Amino acid sequence: MTQTLVAARPTAQDRVRTLLGAAIPYVLAVIGAFLVVAVIVLALGHNPLEAFRAVLTNSFRNETGMVQTLKKWVPLTLLALAFAIPLGAGRFNIGGEGQLILGAVGSVAVGITFSELPQVVLLPLVLISGVLAGVVWAGIAAWLMAQFKINEILSTVLLNFVSFEVLDYLASVVWPDAGAGGAVTLPIGAGAELPTIGRPPMHVGVLLVLLVSVVAAVLARRSVGGFELRAVGLNERAARVHGVRTGRVAVVSMVVGGALGGLAGAIEVAGVHHRMLEGIQSNFLLLGIIIGLIARGSLTAVPFVAFGIAVLEVGAGSMQRVSGTPVETVLILEGLILLFLLMSDYVTARLRVRAARTSAKAALA
Amino acid sequence: MSDFLALTVTAMVPFLLVAQGTMLSGRSGIFNVSQEGLMLLGASVGYLVSLQLGSNVVGLLAAAVAGAVFGAALAWATTYLRLDQFVVGLALFFLAGGAASLLYRIVVGDSDVKRIHPLPKVLFDQDLLVFLAIAFSLVLWWWLYRTDAGMRLRSVGENPKAADSLGINVMRTRMLAGTVGAALMAVGGAYLPMAFAGTYADGVVAGRGWLAIALAFFGGWRPQFILLGSFFFAAMDVLAQRAQVSGIGLPHQFVSMLPYVATLVVMVFAFRWARVPQFLGRNYDRESRIVG
Repeated sequence: MTQTLVAARPTAQDRVRTLLGAAIPYVLAVIGAFLVVAVIVLALGHNPLEAFRAVLTNSFRNETGMVQTLKKWVPLTLLALAFAIPLGAGRFNIGGEGQLILGAVGSVAVGITFSELPQVVLLPLVLISGVLAGVVWAGIAAWLMAQFKINEILSTVLLNFVSFEVLDYLASVVWPDAGAGGAVTLPIGAGAELPTIGRPPMHVGVLLVLLVSVVAAVLARRSVGGFELRAVGLNERAARVHGVRTGRVAVVSMVVGGALGGLAGAIEVAGVHHRMLEGIQSNFLLLGIIIGLIARGSLTAVPFVAFGIAVLEVGAGSMQRVSGTPVETVLILEGLILLFLLMSDYVTARLRVRAARTSAKAALA
Repeated sequence: MSDFLALTVTAMVPFLLVAQGTMLSGRSGIFNVSQEGLMLLGASVGYLVSLQLGSNVVGLLAAAVAGAVFGAALAWATTYLRLDQFVVGLALFFLAGGAASLLYRIVVGDSDVKRIHPLPKVLFDQDLLVFLAIAFSLVLWWWLYRTDAGMRLRSVGENPKAADSLGINVMRTRMLAGTVGAALMAVGGAYLPMAFAGTYADGVVAGRGWLAIALAFFGGWRPQFILLGSFFFAAMDVLAQRAQVSGIGLPHQFVSMLPYVATLVVMVFAFRWARVPQFLGRNYDRESRIVG
């Protein structure tokens, strides 16, 4: 009788233990970053406890703070996913900004041109055209990468700059709003606006993004595509040897990233601004990258990390008002969390080596 | 026309210094992506020190030191700790950017904007740094391709294992190149307030750092082509500004797009030219048994 070996299903206790093990570096990195920033805040002559309380509680004190946080959370989550999915395949999508702007372009183009259409038709059209525009923009970079081996960091960054000019041209020449100062387009039709819920109003894009992030996390863990993505990211050569079409996986990951970036742009247009304006991309790209890196490519972690960063970003202003601590300290805090998280990788690796060495010595003795 | 040339040469300096810094660092295998933050830090430190001490030269030196500290941190984390170059670079980019605005906020606060003196003109109505940057590019070419030390640096970026086996200290080479490269980036940033606005603002760099990375690729990671490339980028920059003011029959947005689109097109048609150092962005592990 042949004995088949099957990996034992991890017990609940094991699962909790691995989860805790994974959480420790995060906790240490966050505590370390807060400690260093506390020293900086003290050196500036402000009270760190007061500053941190202002940063962390602003989102939870009332509904307005919560809605502000969620409104930031929506594009941050989408752009973090747009960065993290190609990162899974070892590709760096620095073009979230351009993909967001093109998504906004796609949705205002439809939202202005067909502004008479009823909501049932127009709203899906607006969202879909935003997604498609993002796909096209990321598709250019993906095509250049696959066909000509052009570094995707280079092409996505350059396409960002092109997208700024596209936005400027459309907002100041094609559909300019004469009444508004600066580069602002005409408003989209009423049927293109996302409906809102609650008071103060929150657009339903937040539910859409919740759905998208759950689907993305499940697909990354349970689907063939998600598995291939991870295989390519971990060892491209081994994946190719085992029959994964690595080039196609990389291209698809970039295109999916572009679709999410485009969706972010469409939601910003249909849910928040109801028009396209210069600076619509805010600093979402940089924060999206930070979130993707802090989540370390885990799509499950992205929405949670994004929420944490959104809380910090919304709280930064109130921190300055309450305690006089400059908003820039929040940027330093985010950078430090990332840096300490990386350092903890190194420390845990060293500790593991040391533990293995002592156990080997004990076995020999 | 001579006016156009003069403006272009001034606009070229930051591109040139930062792209050469990127190239120098990258040629040893360290792919620095914190240009945008380091330039901002250089601009902030350079402006503040010049303002306080009244000397632009000291300001430039202080900026170089600040950049060198960040460059050394990146080099240390990626050689001795072997952390991911791209991720550490981005973390340092955030830290440098935050530190730049914070320093400005602490020293100047909300008081009136004070302007620093521009760099003195020495020749052809251009300041000294213009000539230094161009001369430095040529010296860099000579050093990389005509001296032993330059060849050692290049060999570390191409094949560190082979370099190591020949007794070249890979770690030290990368530490030096990464530090000097980042110092150049900060100096390139410090030039901005000294040549243009006379003051610091958070948007002063305006994407030039990212463009410098593109420029390093555009120039095939070779100093002589980076010199030409930065002239082209600067010329397009000046042309776009001119189109915005006076109009040349074409919407100025399309002129502004030109350098970016041109870079992509050039990359498509220049396979052989657009080569990159073999070990760019990859860490060297002496104990690893996998070659390449």
